[in-house]
Amino acid sequence: MLSLENVIKSYETVRAVDGLSFEARPGEIFGLIGPNGAGKSTTIRMIMNVIAPDSGSIRFDGEPFSEALKDRIGYLPEERGLYRKVKVEDMLLYLAALKGMGREAARASAKVWLERFDLAEWKGRKIEELSKGMAQKLQFIGSVIHDPDLVLFDEPFSGLDPISQDLLLEAVLELRKRGKTVLFSTHVMEHAEKLCDRILLIRKGKELVSGSLAEVKAGHGHDAIQVEFDGDASFIVGLPFVAAARTYPRWLEVELREGADADELYNALVGRLHVRRFEVMSPSLHSVFVRLVGDAAQEDGAVNGGAANGGAANGSAANGGKETSHD
Amino acid sequence: MTKLGTIIRQEFKVAAANKTFIILTIIGPFLILAITVLPGLLSMNPKVSSGGGPVAVSGGDAAVQSALEAAIGGQGRKLVRLGDDEASRTQAKADIGKGALDALVVLEGDWIDQGGTIYTKTGTDAILFGLVEQTLGTIARETRIAKSGIDPALARELSREVTLSIVGVGKDAGEKKGIEDAFMTTLFTAMGFVMLIYMTTILYGQLIGRSVVQEKVSKTVEVMLSSVSSKELMIGKILGLGLAGLLQYGVWAGMALVLSKFLAPALGIAAPAAVSLGNIAWLVTFFVLAFFLYAAGYAAIGAAAEDESHLGQLAWPLLVFLIIPLVMISSFVMNPDSTLSVVLSLFPMTSPIVMLIRVLVSPPPVWQLALCLGLLAATIYAMMAAAGRIFRVGILMTGKRTTLKEMMKWIRAA
Repeated sequence: MLSLENVIKSYETVRAVDGLSFEARPGEIFGLIGPNGAGKSTTIRMIMNVIAPDSGSIRFDGEPFSEALKDRIGYLPEERGLYRKVKVEDMLLYLAALKGMGREAARASAKVWLERFDLAEWKGRKIEELSKGMAQKLQFIGSVIHDPDLVLFDEPFSGLDPISQDLLLEAVLELRKRGKTVLFSTHVMEHAEKLCDRILLIRKGKELVSGSLAEVKAGHGHDAIQVEFDGDASFIVGLPFVAAARTYPRWLEVELREGADADELYNALVGRLHVRRFEVMSPSLHSVFVRLVGDAAQEDGAVNGGAANGGAANGSAANGGKETSHD
Repeated sequence: MTKLGTIIRQEFKVAAANKTFIILTIIGPFLILAITVLPGLLSMNPKVSSGGGPVAVSGGDAAVQSALEAAIGGQGRKLVRLGDDEASRTQAKADIGKGALDALVVLEGDWIDQGGTIYTKTGTDAILFGLVEQTLGTIARETRIAKSGIDPALARELSREVTLSIVGVGKDAGEKKGIEDAFMTTLFTAMGFVMLIYMTTILYGQLIGRSVVQEKVSKTVEVMLSSVSSKELMIGKILGLGLAGLLQYGVWAGMALVLSKFLAPALGIAAPAAVSLGNIAWLVTFFVLAFFLYAAGYAAIGAAAEDESHLGQLAWPLLVFLIIPLVMISSFVMNPDSTLSVVLSLFPMTSPIVMLIRVLVSPPPVWQLALCLGLLAATIYAMMAAAGRIFRVGILMTGKRTTLKEMMKWIRAA
């Protein structure tokens, strides 16, 4: 089990991580989510003992972090990096050796993983010859080749095609099943929503909310209504009982104001749109994220005299959605 | 194998198992020979030094012109005899401008007292100027002697020059033979060795700097640091590349010894006396020391640099110390025991090069050698410690052009 207790880390002018505490348990996928610059990377670097926290404790299975513990950790950084001139298999053997793995065991493990990810025939090629997606898969293999007990995945799915995403997803779920502790950092809420057992949402180094996915959704969002439709849905934002809406050309998600009823919305849509699906559901993690991070940014704005906060803007822009509630 | 050993092996493999390294190892000494010894040899040999273009003379009698013809004939030049009218001189100057003539020597009627004039395009052909001046001087002297009524044969006998034999004396008062041309061969050997140590120190320093900055730019460092400490990474890189450098030196030393001990005698050429086993051992020793000193520096600035061009900017304080001894090399060879030589052969940033020159030319006192080595070892230790601190902070720092001032702050803060 990975446990952080009141961890603080300041750089010259900013407090990057500000009193963070959480536990990630074996056999679960723990999501560390937050906007860009929230302190996710700093937290992960501290977990890997690359930088030391100013105060607080980080333990794994009760042991304080040390260089020796690095052999039990696997890390997939957000910004991928492999030696371009090195051959695929040699790179994996090197990474495995740096985790203290014997050469024969490493070779066997590399073989299994390369086959699993359809890279076996590339093992003698230089990394610079790989496509971006293949390099991503290779980097993933590099993070799990030594069968670590704790894996840290930073945006593992970015840049992968759907087939590779499924392969990776399957591998991550398998690690979970085998009792590994999986820490998953992302700002793509759809991924977090599909994978995570529990999440911690941080902003500016502080916890905004944490708990199981169901708890977070129940506590921090209203039921949402998702509609699939044909037609022009731009009028939705103007409806008096709509608090917020995310609209795409054929899909929209609406959050109603306090006391409003889903029927009101349904009645408003009928005749103006061709509704193909209308579903009342618990809010998406995306809307919880936008709401919490947005609210926090607004509070900052009130304190700082209305300056727009970069964190919230980044959080929504990353999803490519259109936040009509601000329009 | 330990993790450090794994990194060393990988870095060594990356550095040594590529074509550039292999080619450089084989042709390196020839390159250094080419850029150090050859220009010196060539510029000193009149036969190969000139382009051999014709030289014109205007004025002076037939004897003077013949003497000039003989003198520049040694350079393979032809003499063009012109009339002493203004028109042909103007034409000759135009020919110089076009490149048809190399020079024009103008001698007025009273040139023996007033001197002559030489017109050239570049004004840098010192050998030609020297030849002309020497020839005119001899004729002028003999003319003056003849005018004064002294027997020219007697005058020649009286003004004969004295020759000086140069004999070296060793520590045991024994005489060293063949020292007459020792200055030249020692200078060349010293130049060769110094260029070798200078170029390899810069080369390996930059290899390390680049390797570190690439690790940082490519973000590989994140993965590396999830497995090893920043100290292991830095030392692994330095030792891995250092081994590659040592391998290269081993090959070069072997080549030098084979050439000087077996090939040169077989071909009947005298190998330079300074290329001895002892001196090569000193060369390798000082390379290793210079390597560690500058490797630490380059590792630190590599970690602090934003990209490769930034690395180049941060490297200048290191380069200055490497260039100083290089530009002053002849001063060290001529005066190996001057105060300047002694000071710079003890100052650690310059000592590997300067002390190597002193060892080659005239063995310094043992205490100075010991002090030099001691100071170097202490500086390397301090440099490594400081580099480790800069490395740890800098390697994860991105999106910011670090200044030298900030690097000093990191050293103090850690």
